[in-house]
Amino acid sequence: MATPSVTQVGDYLWELPPTGGMRVPGRVYADALLMEALRDDQSLTQVANVAHLPGILCYSMAMPDIHFGYGFPIGGVAAFDVEEGVVSPGGVGYDINCGCRLLVTDLDERDIKGDIRRLVDQLFRDVPSGVGASGAIAKLSRKELEKLLVEGAAWAVGRGYGSKEDLEHTEDGGCLPGADPDAVGERAYARGLDQVGTLGSGNHFLEIQAVDEIFDREAAAAYGLREGRVTVMVHCGSRGFGYQVCEDYLEVMASASRRYHIDLPDRQLACAPVTSAEGRRYLAAMACAANYAWVNRQMIMHLTGQALLHALRLGPNDLNLRLVYDVAHNIAKLETHQVAGSPVGVCVHRKGATRAFGPGRPEVPVDYRAVGQPVLIPGDMGTASFVCKGTDEAMRRTFGSTCHGAGRVMSRSQALKRAQGRAIDRELESAGILVRSQGRKTLAEEMPEAYKDVEQVVAVMDGAGISPRVARLRPLGVVKG
Amino acid sequence: MAEEPKRWDPAARQEVYGELDHPADLFVEVWGNDLPSLFKNALFALYDQLAELEGFEAKRTETITVQAPSNAEALRALLSEALYRFETEGFVAVRADIAVDTEEGRVQVTAHLDGETLDRRRHTLLTEVKAVTYHQLAVETVPEGGWRATLLFDV
Repeated sequence: MATPSVTQVGDYLWELPPTGGMRVPGRVYADALLMEALRDDQSLTQVANVAHLPGILCYSMAMPDIHFGYGFPIGGVAAFDVEEGVVSPGGVGYDINCGCRLLVTDLDERDIKGDIRRLVDQLFRDVPSGVGASGAIAKLSRKELEKLLVEGAAWAVGRGYGSKEDLEHTEDGGCLPGADPDAVGERAYARGLDQVGTLGSGNHFLEIQAVDEIFDREAAAAYGLREGRVTVMVHCGSRGFGYQVCEDYLEVMASASRRYHIDLPDRQLACAPVTSAEGRRYLAAMACAANYAWVNRQMIMHLTGQALLHALRLGPNDLNLRLVYDVAHNIAKLETHQVAGSPVGVCVHRKGATRAFGPGRPEVPVDYRAVGQPVLIPGDMGTASFVCKGTDEAMRRTFGSTCHGAGRVMSRSQALKRAQGRAIDRELESAGILVRSQGRKTLAEEMPEAYKDVEQVVAVMDGAGISPRVARLRPLGVVKG
Repeated sequence: MAEEPKRWDPAARQEVYGELDHPADLFVEVWGNDLPSLFKNALFALYDQLAELEGFEAKRTETITVQAPSNAEALRALLSEALYRFETEGFVAVRADIAVDTEEGRVQVTAHLDGETLDRRRHTLLTEVKAVTYHQLAVETVPEGGWRATLLFDV
């Protein structure tokens, strides 16, 4: 299939006019440079393909960190009418509720200058990471895991691993409603029993950071961020449990698409009507995986707090570790949005995209409601991560969504080749960033050059008025899987 | 009695599989003289990405049987099952013996895998593979003879 034609329609906005079976146009947020790199990329074809699906509203959208994914592009946003539209596991991805959590302390960068190595070592010891990491907490019984799936982050808080405030500062309170443990297959249980509280591998990380620069004083103050403050960022998801839920439902949806006579330009877009038995069951299983991920990040926050207290020999009041916010960036959600002037129930797929709700929305925590929802954009381990904020503009134009990270530009094998004969850890150390990793291979694959420039990606969404920057976070120490 | 299958040799990996370009995931191309050797080499590719195989021994055997409507789907199902056993039991194979039966449009694959259970104190793991996807999945003959498969591991 030829790459679709693209027309610039705004400073940071490009449109793919509807052709063939496309029900709506495609829209891609990018600057001229990012678009130049995308022109011949198959990910634009994927944006066009998603526009074919029944019930899609307004546009098939992609954020500036777009890259080629399974059926739907990574960095894709698509909203479907709840009554007429579909839900697709390929629009969520394998790592259901992969997301980001930001913690802030009362410490200043100066306070821990000599302690970074000890801190990173302690985190590396206390938070299980790497391939198939397990055993952060005692292996759960099947019954206990089912409770966890229904309750979400509140399950962890109820067992002393966090506070009520943590739940208020988590998207959806750390619990998607409608989770049904019976919708989850045996294999997902087998993969999930032992992995709660583990980071995993690949692009997942745990990072000690300092607030490098503030761009929006009002929002930063509301979020508790000040220049020099020490923060911790967690990036991980639902581990083997979520991967298996996705895998199981890809098969269910392949036959459902046939049953409901849904014409697919690519069979990886397999889907079912939101209102169908298959659609509802996937959403119920996906909610279980989403809740698993929120528990996972809540447990990692707890383990991180313990590690910091121990390594720095501080009391909890001196550290004062608090949750700024926790966002999902691989998820499908039932939300209400204004479409052509009326409220419409939609199923928003965000695959490598972050919710960015504006001020006043009831979903935004009370203490942030005046400024908008915090949006967490992790960068690569050598540069920076960003805190941005949701806006009314995002509500109007992207179903309250924005980008989710830097996005890769280099394949893993290219990165490995590029890293040959180099010591990525020493290079980072000379740039003031201490890294611990389970494997040298991960470090090489995840080297900073393998990613798009996160500054550029964030600048597009800032320039487009969707999610303006609030603060830049500079890495001090990183634990990679 | 059949000859004992040969242990996989990571030093000779480029003879049986190679990595293709993909921005985020692990996209591999596998070759084989016939279907059983193609399936065997694809298993090698999976385990070779998961762990440093040099440290593992052939201590026990696991058998996997899968059925699917096509060669490609059978290959995916086989690797998916191997990945599942790796994740839940820590089983890593160092060699395999494969039989493929095709009958009335059904492909049945039986794999006897020799290997051992992962011991984190002795063994080194490499890449976390989340899933063996349907993305770019293909099994085909090549004009010069033999078979070729493409597979995408979500990592």
